[in-house]
Amino acid sequence: MARLLTGLGALLLLGSAVWPLGSAEAQPKPAEPKPSSQDCLACHGDKDLKRGAPKPGRRDSLFADEAVLKASAHARLECAACHRTATAPHDSPLPPVQCAACHDKARAELGGGVHASARGQAGAPACASCHGTHDVRRAATMTIEACASCHAKQVQVYRDSVHGRSRQRGDSEAATCRSCHGAAHGVLAKSDSRSSTYHLNLPRTCAQCHADPELAKRHNIPIANVYQLYMDSIHGRAVTKSGLLVSANCSDCHGSHEIRPHTDPRSRVFPANVPKTCGACHAGVLAQYAESVHGKAAAIGVSTAPVCTDCHSAHQIRRVEGAPWQLDVIRECGSCHQESLRTYRDTFHGKVTALGLTRVAKCADCHGAHTVRAVADPASSVSGANLVATCAKCHPGATARFAEFHPHADPSSRARFPILYYSYVLMTTLLIGTFAFFGLHSLLWLPRSLVERLRRGRGRGGEGPEP
Amino acid sequence: MSQGRYYFRFNLYHRILHGMVIVSFLGLAVTGLPLKYAQTGWGLWLSHALGGPFTTGYLHRFFAIITFTYFALHLGYIARLVLLRRPGVFWGPDSMVPQPRDLLQLGQHVRYFFGLGPRPRFGRWAYWEKFDYWAVFWGISIIGASGLLLWFPTFFARYVPGWIFNVAIIVHSDEALLAVGFIFTIHFFNGHLRPEKFPMDPVIFTGRLEEEDFRRDHPEEYERLRADGRLEARRADPPPLWLRNFSLVVGLSSLAVGLTLIWLIVATALK
Repeated sequence: MARLLTGLGALLLLGSAVWPLGSAEAQPKPAEPKPSSQDCLACHGDKDLKRGAPKPGRRDSLFADEAVLKASAHARLECAACHRTATAPHDSPLPPVQCAACHDKARAELGGGVHASARGQAGAPACASCHGTHDVRRAATMTIEACASCHAKQVQVYRDSVHGRSRQRGDSEAATCRSCHGAAHGVLAKSDSRSSTYHLNLPRTCAQCHADPELAKRHNIPIANVYQLYMDSIHGRAVTKSGLLVSANCSDCHGSHEIRPHTDPRSRVFPANVPKTCGACHAGVLAQYAESVHGKAAAIGVSTAPVCTDCHSAHQIRRVEGAPWQLDVIRECGSCHQESLRTYRDTFHGKVTALGLTRVAKCADCHGAHTVRAVADPASSVSGANLVATCAKCHPGATARFAEFHPHADPSSRARFPILYYSYVLMTTLLIGTFAFFGLHSLLWLPRSLVERLRRGRGRGGEGPEP
Repeated sequence: MSQGRYYFRFNLYHRILHGMVIVSFLGLAVTGLPLKYAQTGWGLWLSHALGGPFTTGYLHRFFAIITFTYFALHLGYIARLVLLRRPGVFWGPDSMVPQPRDLLQLGQHVRYFFGLGPRPRFGRWAYWEKFDYWAVFWGISIIGASGLLLWFPTFFARYVPGWIFNVAIIVHSDEALLAVGFIFTIHFFNGHLRPEKFPMDPVIFTGRLEEEDFRRDHPEEYERLRADGRLEARRADPPPLWLRNFSLVVGLSSLAVGLTLIWLIVATALK
């Protein structure tokens, strides 16, 4: 029954919409003066004024609140300035308002943007979708609510992000929709190469704020020069110099609407989540890492287990082939494996790398990088079965005896390395003993020798007393 | 320079060999210490000043080859003396082998330091000169052997266990430190820097010893040669000016290099 009534109503409305248009064309336009706003409000000021029948997607109330109108950006306009064909009174619904009749520039800006190209499609934004109808808002006063009316999911995610939360706390510097996407009229699709959110353009967009060390200081962002570091990184160069769409930009690691601080367990850059984030592109490496001691420890939540960024850094990710990275990463391994680094530095390998040569064994050359496993693991490159082959990578002809060399020997440990300990003690004793004996010998000789010299006079071979 | 009489103490062969010792020893010290002190700023700087750690390593081995060469030449020299049945190579007043008399003279020397007795009547080699000789002899054997092990590890690992290389690293490094420390302080003091010789004793370069120095520093040998009538055979012309200048330049340069290295080592140790 209700459906029947609705159908009848719709028919009636359709009829009433078509008929007056036809008749308006037939009749010449009356030359009567345009109605004033007061004329309009005579009827539309009534809160109960409703359309004859409801239509999906349309409000049925025909009430126009004068107070809202007066508070809007259009406060000084008469109703007829927008509703140009309006007469007072009128029976037929008025044609849609053409904002572009006045806002020429806005139409030009909409140009080829997504908001414009979508017009005419179902759910496409009209001016009123964002700016309102009678309560016309200036762009400057608009909030994310305007965007949320269509992009509800994105805005909801944004609200929970570091940017959204900062805004809620009253931080006027935190990014909003427009900060990244640009002004709404010209907004372009992410896939458009001119868009500020296009893969190759995004770093520069984020840099509007994040290239500023002062901003980082104000907001307690731990790394002040992220943009500069990123631009020097292998990712940044690939994006900005080579134009590689597959190379990571800011949002690949941090997310876009959902950006959260690295201390937030839900953040993509939270340490425990980093392997997954990097592995989204570096799937092969992730597979190796997941099998390693580091990966296994990280997976069960060991907070000290190194993740990708611990070795490769977060922003200034460098080519691993380069000497600077290869030498720095030794120190990085040593930041946890202090004992191993100390003993490594005692050997030829460690000393030469300290001098800047990468041709000798570094941590990863023996232990593997992503595949690093415990010595006890038979699959480890430093396990008993694989050790000779690992040594032979650099020392062709290495034998089982050769592999008895201990690259991390500690001469100060008598329990673990007795022969080495006693060699060390012997050598140290020899050193101290020799210097103590001859040091004392020279000290005693010095005054005596001085006396001899003075007795003989300064000139050598002169007339000295006969012995 | 006075026109006093001169006698030969070192022949040309001795002097050439000592020249090789100076060149290779300084070379080994300068190229080796940057590796031993790789963690220090000066180690890094020196290594790169020498052309980087790779080049420094090659230079180190080059000087090692000079060392092996003069060591072999010296062994050959001794072998020649033995084959010629020269008496007193291994025992006697002209021998380098330590003898009871050396211990006695050490005691006498210490008494002399305290003014409790006369200066001992040293022969051809005073006890500290013998020690210098044996320190170098022993040093080359130990450092050379351990160095060869570390130079050709895969070859030697066919015959010795791998932990030998761990020992070799310690021995090579510490013995080298002992050698560098000893030569640049004790040997320099005994031979050159003590007030009687200051700033240097050119005898190892000129080979010639003035009669007065001979009689004072090696009275036993002087008297023995005179008594045997062999002194005149040792007579030398005064060292030419060029040789004296040459000794001065080489000697003082070596001294400067050595004392700089000592200063760096001590500064690092004290830090």
